[in-house]
Amino acid sequence: MGKGFCVLFKKDCRMLVSGKFFLMAVGFLALYTVYVNLGYIRFMQMPPYNVYLYDPAGTQTEKSSLVQVVPSMEAMDAALFSDANGVGLDASAGDVRVVLYKGAEHVDCHRADYALSLLRPFTGSAPEIIGTNTPEQKARKEITCELLFFELAAVGFLGIAAVLFKEKGMGVICVHAILPLRKELFLLSKLAVFLLSDLAFAVPLTLLNVGVTDGAAILPAVLLQTTILSLIMALVGLLCALLLKDFRQFTLVYLMIAIFAATPVFLSANTSIKFDWIGYHPFYHVYMGLKNAYFGTDISPAYYAGAVGIIVLLFLMVRLAFQREIGKEG
Amino acid sequence: MIEVKNLTFSYGKDKQALHGLDFTVEDGEIFGFLGPNGSGKSTTQKILTGILRGHGGKVSLFGQDISAAHGQELFQKIGVLFEFPYLYANLSAVDNLNYFASFYPREQRRNVGELLDALEFKPDFLKKPVSSYSKGMRQRVSMARALVSNPRLLFLDEPTSGLDPSGAVLFRTIIEQERKKGTTVFVTTHNMVDADLLCDRVAFISNGNLVALDTPKRLKEKNSNHRVVIDYLYQGQRETKTIEAPELEAGIPFAHDEIISIHSKEPTLEDMFIQYTGRGLS
Repeated sequence: MGKGFCVLFKKDCRMLVSGKFFLMAVGFLALYTVYVNLGYIRFMQMPPYNVYLYDPAGTQTEKSSLVQVVPSMEAMDAALFSDANGVGLDASAGDVRVVLYKGAEHVDCHRADYALSLLRPFTGSAPEIIGTNTPEQKARKEITCELLFFELAAVGFLGIAAVLFKEKGMGVICVHAILPLRKELFLLSKLAVFLLSDLAFAVPLTLLNVGVTDGAAILPAVLLQTTILSLIMALVGLLCALLLKDFRQFTLVYLMIAIFAATPVFLSANTSIKFDWIGYHPFYHVYMGLKNAYFGTDISPAYYAGAVGIIVLLFLMVRLAFQREIGKEG
Repeated sequence: MIEVKNLTFSYGKDKQALHGLDFTVEDGEIFGFLGPNGSGKSTTQKILTGILRGHGGKVSLFGQDISAAHGQELFQKIGVLFEFPYLYANLSAVDNLNYFASFYPREQRRNVGELLDALEFKPDFLKKPVSSYSKGMRQRVSMARALVSNPRLLFLDEPTSGLDPSGAVLFRTIIEQERKKGTTVFVTTHNMVDADLLCDRVAFISNGNLVALDTPKRLKEKNSNHRVVIDYLYQGQRETKTIEAPELEAGIPFAHDEIISIHSKEPTLEDMFIQYTGRGLS
């Protein structure tokens, strides 16, 4: 049994190498790392809006260095025209007047308050800081978590389905039906290859983007959640590939999963939007499991029990679909 | 080697594919299983190769009921050539064969190079990916895959499909050689020439029923009208006459100058099939 598994494992690795899957994974890792370190983190450290001040009499003496002084109202109009999210402050008539292009009302209020706050030094009491993460650490963990979830849910899911569709197309599945090996091994070897590939991806992604010290501390928890998500997505991918006729049908299902399954999860987990029903969405719990792992938050044992149950159930469904597929061919 | 008693199979409530087949295949026999598309021959082969479960009746392979047989032990003893050459397109012939062979015990495996050589596989293509092969070359690699485990029972589905005439002759020779080694061969085919030249016995299946089973020769003899066709020259004219075969016992019963040819008017296997089933093979 062990030998058969090794042979299948080696063959699946070769399939992925010839399909440039590992090369793609390395490419994605490099792309994500460049995006996080050279793009996202810098972007998060930038002020939310540019503030332009027209103050010919020089009345605003305590303004922040973030405020950009313009020489005339025409210059301010020009600045706002090219930067529609910017906020203008006109202090030419004594009182400060806010000038901006209209957007959503609550956002406009925030823009105006922020711009006005830059004209005076901070005088309020310092808020109590909860948690130990600096804003940069928080941003790094959030974005790394999102990228890992995307990689596992989308790229890994597509990858395993692509491999199985390829084997279906070549007809070799039915050859395995008459080989002296336990048929489950055919599925288990694929799961193992993709799981190891996902784990190998999660390690550098976390260390390079969260930081070596912080990343190493959370790595065991992240790898545990990666294992859960990787197995679930690989099994869903296998099931779809076995039940659907071709890759075109699969792409439609994938789009539906992306739109109806992933979008509400991201919205609920990362924004103030809350859906009443999101607690019933299985992906929400898996995503939150990963996010909790990045932030070192405890995860309920019920979640693990549910995850194991879903993985076992999915495996049984995949095995049944595989038996049907074997019977169909040849 | 194979014993099938009252074999039934249904794909659904109203889709009965097999209606109680009975036949046996002896050790070292080449047995032909002939039938048109949808007649139930693929279903029968899938049941015999252990791919399809849930049949009715009794199927024994190597003296053991297939339902109770341990899958891996059974699969170790059989080789299957599918109708289409199912191979990994991104791997070479050698890599494909080494991969499939590695599931069998080392002492059972045949040498991949020798096997491909016997099948007259072009050496230039040994290391090239299967995607660059012609259909005939893929069929050769598939045959090698079926033989690489040195099976005691060989299932061949349309073995000469996609081969040129010399390839077909080569395949028939290889199958004969396998039989001489003691391998039992179960051939499913549309090809009457293959069935006639290769098979010790043939079975005709139609709509899930076995309608005839005998040696090709006896099947033809049983249905022969015992007539012969004689081509001859008489007074400078070429003429043809059909007479009853027993009439020949007393010599040629008509005037002639020269006999050109004498042919028995024996039916072909295809004629027999149409007679038994009312349908053509393709």
